Amino acid sequence: MAYIRKRNRRIFMTFLLPAMLVLFLTTIYPMLYAGYLSFRSYDLAKPFVPRMFVGWANYQQVLTSGDFLNALSITFQLMVITLSIQLVVGVGLALLVTQRLPGMGVARTLLLIPMMISPVIVGLVWLFLYFPELGYLNYFLSFVGIDPIPWITSPNWALWAIAIADIWQWTPFIMMGTAAALTSLSPEPYEAARIDGNTRWQVFRHVTLPQLKPVLVSLLFLRAIDAFKIYDIIFVLTKGGPGDSTEVLSLYIYRQSFTFWQMGVGAAASFVSLIIIVVLITLFFKSLNRDQTA
Amino acid sequence: MRPFVLAGFAATISVAGMTAVHAKDYEGVELKMLAIGDTSVTRLAPIVGEFEELTGAKVQIDMFPYPGLIDKIVIEASANRPSYQLMWVDSPWVGVLGESGALEDLTDWVKRDADEIHLDDIVPIQLQENTWQGRLLAFPASGMIWHQNYRKDLYEHPDEQAAFLERYGYDLAPATTWDQYIDIAEFFTRAAGETLAGETLEKDFYGNAQAYSRVAGAITHDFFPIMRSFGGQYWDPETGLCAMDGEAALAAADVMKRLVASNPPDYLGLMWDIRTGYMERGEVAQSSYWSVRTVRLTNPDEAVLPTIGEAGYAPSPTGDGSPQPTMTGALSFGINSKASDREKEAAWEFIKWGTSRDMMRRFAEEGSGVSQFHKSILADPALQEKYPYYQVLLETQENAQRRIFHPFYADVEEVFGVELNKFMAGETETAREALTNGCTKINTRLKVFPEELRLRWINDAPAAIFQ
Repeated sequence: MAYIRKRNRRIFMTFLLPAMLVLFLTTIYPMLYAGYLSFRSYDLAKPFVPRMFVGWANYQQVLTSGDFLNALSITFQLMVITLSIQLVVGVGLALLVTQRLPGMGVARTLLLIPMMISPVIVGLVWLFLYFPELGYLNYFLSFVGIDPIPWITSPNWALWAIAIADIWQWTPFIMMGTAAALTSLSPEPYEAARIDGNTRWQVFRHVTLPQLKPVLVSLLFLRAIDAFKIYDIIFVLTKGGPGDSTEVLSLYIYRQSFTFWQMGVGAAASFVSLIIIVVLITLFFKSLNRDQTA
Repeated sequence: MRPFVLAGFAATISVAGMTAVHAKDYEGVELKMLAIGDTSVTRLAPIVGEFEELTGAKVQIDMFPYPGLIDKIVIEASANRPSYQLMWVDSPWVGVLGESGALEDLTDWVKRDADEIHLDDIVPIQLQENTWQGRLLAFPASGMIWHQNYRKDLYEHPDEQAAFLERYGYDLAPATTWDQYIDIAEFFTRAAGETLAGETLEKDFYGNAQAYSRVAGAITHDFFPIMRSFGGQYWDPETGLCAMDGEAALAAADVMKRLVASNPPDYLGLMWDIRTGYMERGEVAQSSYWSVRTVRLTNPDEAVLPTIGEAGYAPSPTGDGSPQPTMTGALSFGINSKASDREKEAAWEFIKWGTSRDMMRRFAEEGSGVSQFHKSILADPALQEKYPYYQVLLETQENAQRRIFHPFYADVEEVFGVELNKFMAGETETAREALTNGCTKINTRLKVFPEELRLRWINDAPAAIFQ
């Protein structure tokens, strides 16, 4: 018996080892190295700058920087805009595609396409649409008498332009998760609600929504983590501009690391960003546990 | 009979000499070049096979857009084993790459091959552009000046001339001051339905196009030449700290802000190529930029000006119209200091071949414009007729000053790019606030270094090749 257990453990280890090795090389080692860098002065473009231990100086520089706080604020603004719209539109679409209507299967497949496209390609597609002089969007708007909109070249519009692209790409994710949850809901509460003479809205508000809540919270949480790290679309569309109106946290980190070449400061900003995400996760699980206990 | 014999003898020696220089000496060497996809490279890239035939060395040119190219070069320079032996260098990067030791010192090679490369025929400032602390670290492939381009057909139209004179009280001509430049930009900015040069406009027409984008500091590429045309300097000569918030810088920011109203509505997104695109399509009356893009205005394949060849060229305006040193720049080829000795030698042969006077003349004669840097080509009357901007290039470089050169150039470009863009977008209220923010950020980085070092960085020691 002990021999079999020992042999099984060896087999488990044989199967696990490649995955663990890859995990170590691609995730754990880079993270440890980034942690090490975050306490050092390290300028890739200026080898003459002494590379030495600087304690918490990089973290201090990040946390007292107006640019960092601005980037954090813009990241949260973008999260609030995109997540709230994605939630409403995603649930609406899920309700629609779960109806037994002709063509819904095709519609569901088509609606999932944006989610499968690489964010860089999404950025390029929207760049063609938004392009000031030659963009399709302004061209079509001109047919209804609307003057060209400086989508990505005005600080008033740029964040919205990015939000629209992100909403277009990720609303299907909410739709897909919600549609899956809707099809698995138990029919009894609906029959009871119908017998009690509730309107469609009342059924949705008091029967469907409470049952969907755990799924929606999970979906929103996953999207929030993703939205917090948004980078590709912004890099393609605005690179953080005009001014710093679309400079989110990821872009701030990129600029510190690969424009100013302050690798230590970039690493410190990455860890601050990681801490914020960890705090968000903790809060999420705490609220989930509270709901389940209640 | 005798002259023919002598001529034949000379030709034999010449061919033998070329054969001795090249003679497939570099068979088996493979060179890769990290470069931009702009005229300083695109003219050469299709014919690199000829170099392989001559020397045996194979050359591959990888072309990338300007934004992000310096990032790739810095990463390449920090690698222990180089992937690229040749690097395209925009002259302001020479401080960044020079202080980090990324580029091979070409001084001795240039001295050794002075006759072969016609060193005396190269506009001196174009060589100085590529020096760092007295060492020549790159060799010009295109020599640039920042100057104004304008729609000559509009400027010379009698109706427009009369209307301009009536409105502003002086003749319509290429601006010599920034106030005139702003007047002209304002004058030609017209809405669809209005008349321009006797024709009704189908869409809006703009008086001017400048780069206002923050991407890769594009706005600074127009701001700094304007600042310099007001007599401004980058650095305080006493401390080596940022001086880009002085009166000249404020005046330059003010000029750019006043020009906003005459620029296309997407001005905040105008990068180098988008801004020059407006001029190449004839959609603006004037635009000031680097001559490396001006060359496209003479090429029907690259520009669609309403009447191709009708663009006019003039030196940059200045603050009060009195002469100021012209802002120059060089787009150059450098050698990765970590390449092997054999690769370095082959790379130098390639640079000599690709930037030679014969090659530059060939480009000019074939019709693909290049922003030239040999005095004899720029002064050639036949070529001047074909490329009218040659005269401006030649004359303005008699009184010229090189661009910014500093190990912190990338920081300056990025910081001022964002701060100026915020000011133009109205996010920052005053030019003073924007420029003070910029200088504060740069000085925070610089102050950790001793003053002695900062002063060494801003000292433009003449290259040893001139001594």
